[in-house]
Amino acid sequence: MNAHDENRIKHLLRQALPPVEAEAKPAPEPSIDLWPAVLRRLDTQPAEQPRLNWVWFDWALLAGVLAVTVAFPASIPMLLYYL
Amino acid sequence: MNTHPYLRAYLAGIFVPTLVLPLILAGFITVRLVLALPIPIERIIIFPMAVVPTIFGLWNMLYLWSHVRTNLPIGVHGAILPFLGAPIGALVASCLGFLQITGQGIIWFHILHVPYALLAAIFLAAVAGYYLVWKYIVGSLNRVMGIA
Repeated sequence: MNAHDENRIKHLLRQALPPVEAEAKPAPEPSIDLWPAVLRRLDTQPAEQPRLNWVWFDWALLAGVLAVTVAFPASIPMLLYYL
Repeated sequence: MNTHPYLRAYLAGIFVPTLVLPLILAGFITVRLVLALPIPIERIIIFPMAVVPTIFGLWNMLYLWSHVRTNLPIGVHGAILPFLGAPIGALVASCLGFLQITGQGIIWFHILHVPYALLAAIFLAAVAGYYLVWKYIVGSLNRVMGIA
């Protein structure tokens, strides 16, 4: 490899790889406000797992269903019919 | 895992009625054969066997489609289903001849007389039961299937 080839490779490498200073520059400000899009995305996130203060409500519902089936056994075949 | 989400929603939806159906069938057969009660099981079983699983599957597909728009919890979504399923079930039962409507209430399976006040309580129990089933069973199945 002679000096001419070496200079040619240097030139090609400089063309292919951008200077490091260009990457260090801060990103330009976006042209639109992105915060509303962030809020919309947060709104579409899946609902949280049931919190502890709702668990008593589910137990109360289960107790109510069991109370109906115990107090009125005629309801059992009707409930099974719909399940 | 993002392929065919509606097919997975349908499969997750039909899980509960498909699992419960053999138990219901065993119960009705026991009542008919052991207790010798004249229950027309071959007509009764049409709705739980053919309609309920399909409704559950389609309702879960509807949940998957509508959740991003309504953000409705899956338990509430399931609790709405009896308002649709109860009239359909009653219509099927009435057409097949094992539900009679009288002035004091309804007669199920030719043997169960249910007053209207009790019918309201049973309906509320069904709504609560559906809420719990959808919240805890169908919801967890949707998470397992990767569509929750």
